[in-house]
Amino acid sequence: MFLQNAIADALNNTEWAFALAECVHIGGFAIGVGSIALVDLRLLNLGLRHESPARILRYTEPWTVFALVFVIFSGLALFLSQVSIYRENLIFPIKMYVLAAALIYNFTIHRKVATTKDPPPVVSKLVAIVSLLLWVAVVFGGIFTGFLV
Amino acid sequence: MTIAHSIQSIQFLSDFSESVLAYPIVLSTHLTCIALFGGMILATDLRLLGLTFKSLTITEVVTSLRPWKRVGGTIMIAMGLPLAASEAEKYAPNPFFWTKMIILGLIGVHALVFRPIVYNKTEELDKSPVIPTKAKLAAILSLVLWTGMFVMGRLIAYWD
Repeated sequence: MFLQNAIADALNNTEWAFALAECVHIGGFAIGVGSIALVDLRLLNLGLRHESPARILRYTEPWTVFALVFVIFSGLALFLSQVSIYRENLIFPIKMYVLAAALIYNFTIHRKVATTKDPPPVVSKLVAIVSLLLWVAVVFGGIFTGFLV
Repeated sequence: MTIAHSIQSIQFLSDFSESVLAYPIVLSTHLTCIALFGGMILATDLRLLGLTFKSLTITEVVTSLRPWKRVGGTIMIAMGLPLAASEAEKYAPNPFFWTKMIILGLIGVHALVFRPIVYNKTEELDKSPVIPTKAKLAAILSLVLWTGMFVMGRLIAYWD
């Protein structure tokens, strides 16, 4: 409670703090989702073909995790700064469910298929498309949270 | 200000900015492009700096991502135009918007300067035992310019 108020005060009363938190949040998801999308591009066989999806994942996964940590903490700060507004928001809970699904999917099914040697191409492609759709849905959910209040 | 007013008064654009759905959909698409294609720019720059994707040649990274970056850039600009034009009166005096446009121009200059000596000469870069300074310079400038684009884009909303 104290922390919530402290964060809310800092973000609402300091002109640049909210902007900074938003910059970190959006920049973080750009890097996080962008790095996942590189694996998806490879799974779809549309780029970086000279290397296996497993290897691409090994290169990108550290950025994904690093970026997502920043996204989650900055997102938490943004949420705590206006809890009552988010509580009444119709889109926000949907965004959170889709985010949870995207995170679980990314570190289970997506990871498993990317690290499997020669999975059936249909499976790779389907897994990549679902991954892209989930993450795009999270981004749309974020914007709509801000617009449909 | 009158030019800005007449731009945003165009029927299509005023409908757009008042629409409950179209405006956030276009904005979400603009942001999705930042993630999808920003990630590719980052990947290219980090490869040019020799920091990742080392088992792939520079040629492979640059050429296989190039068509997608073009698609992404086109969508991003196509979405950005109505976003700015429909609120032309707000954007016209906004210093962050103009800084963003200047950076966009500088990204064009960056392409003109470095395409012939770096991005179209990737085989030469791959043959070199160490990554040449010009390639690293191109990558660092690209990172700086795109970060600037991103931050200015965000700050546009904070000026009043």
